[in-house]
This record gives sequence, structure tokens and C-alpha cells, in this order.
Amino acid sequence: MQRDVGSLPLAPALRARLVAAGFQTAQELLDTGPCGLSKEIGISKEEALEALQVVRQECHSDATQTAGAPGTSRKCTALELLEQEQAQGFIITFCSALDNILGGGVQLTKITEICGEPGVGKTQLCMQLAVDVQIPECFGGLAGEAVFIDTEGSFMVDRVVDVATACVQHCQLIAEAHQEEDHLKALETFSLESILSHIYYFRCRDYIELLAQVYLLPDFLSEHSKVRLVVIDGIAFPFRHDFEDLSLRTRLLNGLAQQLIIIANDHKAAVVLTNQMTTRIGQSQSTLVPALGESWGHAATVRLIFHWDNNQRLATLYKSPSQKESTIPYHITVSALL
Amino acid sequence: MQNDVESFESKLLYQEMDWDQFDLNPKVIAALKKADIKSVKEILNLSEADLQRLMKLSSADIQYLLKTISRTLRKNSMLTALQLYQDKHHLTSQHQKLSLGCSVLDNLLKGGIPLVGITELAGESSAGKTQISLQLCLCVQYPYKYGGLESGAVYICTEDVFPSKRLQQLIDQQHKLRADVPTEIIQKIKFGNSIFIEHAADLDTFHNCITKRISLLLTRGMARLVVVDSIAALFRCEFGVSDSVTKARYLQTFGAQLHSLSTRFRTPIMCINQVTDAVSESEAAQCNCSAVDSRVSPALGITWANQLLMRLMVSRVSQPEQSSGVALHHTGSVRTLRVVFAPHLPSSFCYYTVKLEGVKGINPLHDMASCFKNL
Repeated sequence: MQRDVGSLPLAPALRARLVAAGFQTAQELLDTGPCGLSKEIGISKEEALEALQVVRQECHSDATQTAGAPGTSRKCTALELLEQEQAQGFIITFCSALDNILGGGVQLTKITEICGEPGVGKTQLCMQLAVDVQIPECFGGLAGEAVFIDTEGSFMVDRVVDVATACVQHCQLIAEAHQEEDHLKALETFSLESILSHIYYFRCRDYIELLAQVYLLPDFLSEHSKVRLVVIDGIAFPFRHDFEDLSLRTRLLNGLAQQLIIIANDHKAAVVLTNQMTTRIGQSQSTLVPALGESWGHAATVRLIFHWDNNQRLATLYKSPSQKESTIPYHITVSALL
Repeated sequence: MQNDVESFESKLLYQEMDWDQFDLNPKVIAALKKADIKSVKEILNLSEADLQRLMKLSSADIQYLLKTISRTLRKNSMLTALQLYQDKHHLTSQHQKLSLGCSVLDNLLKGGIPLVGITELAGESSAGKTQISLQLCLCVQYPYKYGGLESGAVYICTEDVFPSKRLQQLIDQQHKLRADVPTEIIQKIKFGNSIFIEHAADLDTFHNCITKRISLLLTRGMARLVVVDSIAALFRCEFGVSDSVTKARYLQTFGAQLHSLSTRFRTPIMCINQVTDAVSESEAAQCNCSAVDSRVSPALGITWANQLLMRLMVSRVSQPEQSSGVALHHTGSVRTLRVVFAPHLPSSFCYYTVKLEGVKGINPLHDMASCFKNL
């Protein structure tokens, strides 16, 4: 804490400004905070936040080295964890059958993976979640915002407009039926434009851009603290070509999964990934299985597989820590996935 | 301008970087040089533990390095969905599509073919796939106002010879097909000059074609449509059952390369595919072929299907009084164009015919009765 500013691992220009402004110890920097810092030495708030993060990490690692004790850890009982988990929010999907098998909806702080053949409705569900996460609290929603990372270019905004319009109308009907003041007030700010403006869209054209974007996510979520959903549509596409070295791919995917788990937890957000299907050739027949291999199967907490049975779309809950495996039918309509 | 931004970013990824340019601690820069790390891609490919070891830096330094290069790479990369929706500029808007030259067909597709992504057109032989593709090669040359992209087309033939006679017929009849466009504008377009025909009958020639030859045309802005006729023919002879892994790899590589071209140049890629008998119930179900009930599905399996943005299928609606061997442009035989999947479209279909002047959708309210009357 008493570390000299000049010895901190910051960019030299920044260090010079700090020293010139009269800061001497790391503690002084931490006490000033990002706003004060950006004003004092004339840098952007983003740069100030970055610098303070570096300082904090440096002080933390110093502390653990000198004290010889493990870093600060929160201890709690299993009961506390259970209560915390039950209080976690869910993002409802408007398909009650799907919400039921998921135990309430898509869960915050967890990674949910949606696998399926092309055209079965994975992107549709993601777009719907990006709208549903924004439903005001008085209508049973989370009043959150969404990050949508698109690797395939399948995010067609016209479709999102259909879903958002239908969602607003649905809430308007509820408000008309109940005539409560907080409903009407919420509807004042819950409109097509506001929904679209709170979906933050990133297009990543290969796996490097995706890795870079995920490195930047924690800071983005800190700045946009209302984000409750991060979608990556799809996780398989950038990783399924261009990889001579499969062990590199496995390592990168594992690293990505770890980062996403931390992000989901730290920012109380649901992370939703879509995955492709691939053919596994067995002894007597071939089956469709989720892509990216066996070890990737451990990344997601919850795994949903969308598939066809004749002309009916089905969703199977394949993996979940708390719900049992089950299958339900669903449809895709103009306004939603039902 | 769009192209400049994109090529800068791709240079950023793979080329040797001058680390001094980055806002990094000098000891980090020195460590990068000492560890002989040259590109952003190298850094992101290594794990944090490896980076710490190679560069002998602390975790905080590595974190800062990763964030700094990620930030440089992804500067200005965020858009809100509202910005996407409100962008109506023809060079960047999602609303901009490539028209098919017929309002009925365009309505089915809510405007036309999306500009970024691979669209597949699958169907039995002589269902009309080549007809539609030729028509697109002409449509792309019209001004933006009339649903075109003011540029030419690359047509890659993988099996048959390019149908030049039919193309000439279509060019001569454009004024009849495109009654929505003033004649002076049609007359000014030199349709034949802007269609670039490539032949690629095997995988290596095809690979060379899409990685070298057509990127030149696209970079110069001379073409803004790529047609592959057909993708299935490339894989027909060369692969047995035991080569399925190699086949899958080729499909994924081609898919990724075409996708990358499409993204870089905002250029639609139209791949024609053949059909095979549906192997499983689910394949047949997905194609919703109940209208024809012939249980066919597009070739090349799920590996290829995973590369597509949109899948369309065409088929002939069987007519009992249809005689075989009648030349295409004399029959009024009715065909179906079906949307099998697309992120922005429901499963739907419409009917169309192939006339002398080209492919025309049938507006069910008006033309169906007269069309069947003429058969």
C-alpha cells in the first residue's frame, strides 16, 4: 500500500504525470478513485480505471507475498450459497415449457449452451433472451441489458425488432389488464428504441477477435453494470477451421470457458453460448453430437439440445446441475419462440 | 472506407508489430522483443501462464498487456442494435439486400439476398437453380435504387459449361423483366462485360480460385456477387466413406474462406447445391418437402449446412400434362422456391415460372389462375 508510485508497472507517460501531480504512494491513488484521478491528471476515466486495476493487483500480490497468507477470501456456509442461488434471477423465455424444464428460465451466474443443427432456432432464442432480459421488474423481468457477440453474422436486426415489438405489446396488455401505476410508469421507458439501444452488439470475424473481445468484457461489464446477459452466437464457428493443432484449440477453449465462468459470477450475468452439431461415426451408425469435442462438454453448466422430430422442433435439457433431463416441443412464431 | 478499416485490423492481427507504438511499459516492450513475439495473434494464442514464463513478467503486467492489445484491436467495435436498425446507408445497412429482379421473390425474402453470408440454393436438376443465379448476375449490376449493387459478378463453374446463350437471351430481355427500371438506365449497363466466368473442376483449382483470383476482382470493386455452380460437384467423385474427415475439412475451409470474403467485401455468396435422397427423417422433415413429397435433402450434410446463413430450395411442382424434352423457356411449368432456414425469415415458399425474360414469381392472388390456364 505504501508502494512508491514510481515503481508501479504503469506506462511511463502515465507514471510521469502522476508523479508530477504530486502522488507518492499507491494508497493515495486508490483513495482518489477513478473520477478524481482522471480529473487530476487529465486522462480519460477508462484509463484511470485501468491504472487503478493495475495498482490494486500489484498491491494485492505484494500483500500476499509479504504476509505469506492466502489472499482475501470470502467464507460462507452451504446454506448461504443455497439462499444466494435461489435468489438468483432467471431470464424468462416466454416459452413456459422451456422455462419449466430449465427450472425457471435461463439462470444468471451460469453458462447455458444451446446446441442444434442449422435452422433449428438457436439464434432465435438468443435474440429473444436479449429482449426478455430487459423486461421491467414489475412485469417479472430483470430490467437488464444485453451483450451480443456475433461470430457468424446471423444477427439480423429486423428479426430483433419483431421480437421486441411483440414483447412491448405483451407488457402493454398486462398493464391494461391490471391498471397499476408502476406498470404504466415502466412502459414509459420500455419501448422498441430503448430495447434496441441496450443490446450491445460486437461482431467478431475470427477466433482472435473473439479472444480479444472476451478479455475486454470484464471492464465493459463494470462500466455497463446493468448487463445481465452475454450471448456468444456461435462459439463453434471460429474454432472449427484453421486449427491444425487441436491441443491449442482445446487450451484456448478451456481458457475462454474459465473467463466466462468468472464473468458470469462476478457480474451476476447469464452467459449463453450456441454450438453446432457434428457427426460422430459409431460402430453401426452415426449420431449427431455437439461440436468442439468432449472436454468442451464440461464448460457449460446447462446444456440444451434443439432438434427435429418429423416436423416438430424439440428442446432437450441434456445437462443441468439441478433439473432432470427432459424434452419439450416448441415453435417459432413471428413474435417469439414458444 | 469500410475496406480500409477491415484490412487494417487484419494486418494488426498477423503482421509483425512495432511494439514501440503501443502504450506499454518499456519493460513489457523489451520483454516482447526478447521473447521474439512478433504479432498480436502470437500473444493471444499463448496462455497467461506461458506469457508470464516467456516474458518473465508479473501477472498484472500480462493482464495489462492483454487488455491493451485487445483494446487496440477492438477499438470502435461496439454498436447498439438501435444503430444497426437506424443505419439506412446503402454501404453499411443491414436493410440493404440484393434483389432477385422480381417483387414476388423479393417479398418472400424480405428484400432479397443478404449481403454478408453464404446463401445456398439447392434443388434437383433443371429445377431452375442456374436460371435464378444468372438472373442475380444481372440484378447485381443495377443501381442501389433498383436493388442492385452497381457492380459485376463472378460465376464459378465446377462442372457444366457456362450457359452463355441463355445469358445473352436474358440480357436482351432485361427491359421486359425489369419494367420497374427506366429503359435509359438498362441500356447504359453493359451486362456482358461485368460477368467474370471462372472454371474450377477440382478442389485445388477451386481453392486457388477463391483465395487468389476472385479476391483480386473483389478488392478492385469489380464484382459484388460470387456464384458457385455447384459446390456439390467438387465433392462428388473424390471422396469415399473413409475420407469423410478430409471431406469435412475441405468443406469447413471453403466455407470459412467464402464467409471471410463475404464479410470483408460485403458481397453475397450464392452456392448452388444438388440434392440427394434424404437419409433420415429429420433431414426430410427440415426441408419440409411435403409439397413435393420426394424426400430429398441438400447434399454435403451438416458440415456444409453449418457454414450457411440461408438455405433455399427449388423444386418442380409435378404437372401430369408436362411432356419431357420441352425447352425451359417455352414451358409454363410451375416451380417452388422455399425458404428452408434463415435467421430473419419464417419457413415459407412461393411459386415461380421460368420465362424467356427470366424467373418470375407468381403472385397467388393474380397469376395462379392464368398460369395454370396456360398449361
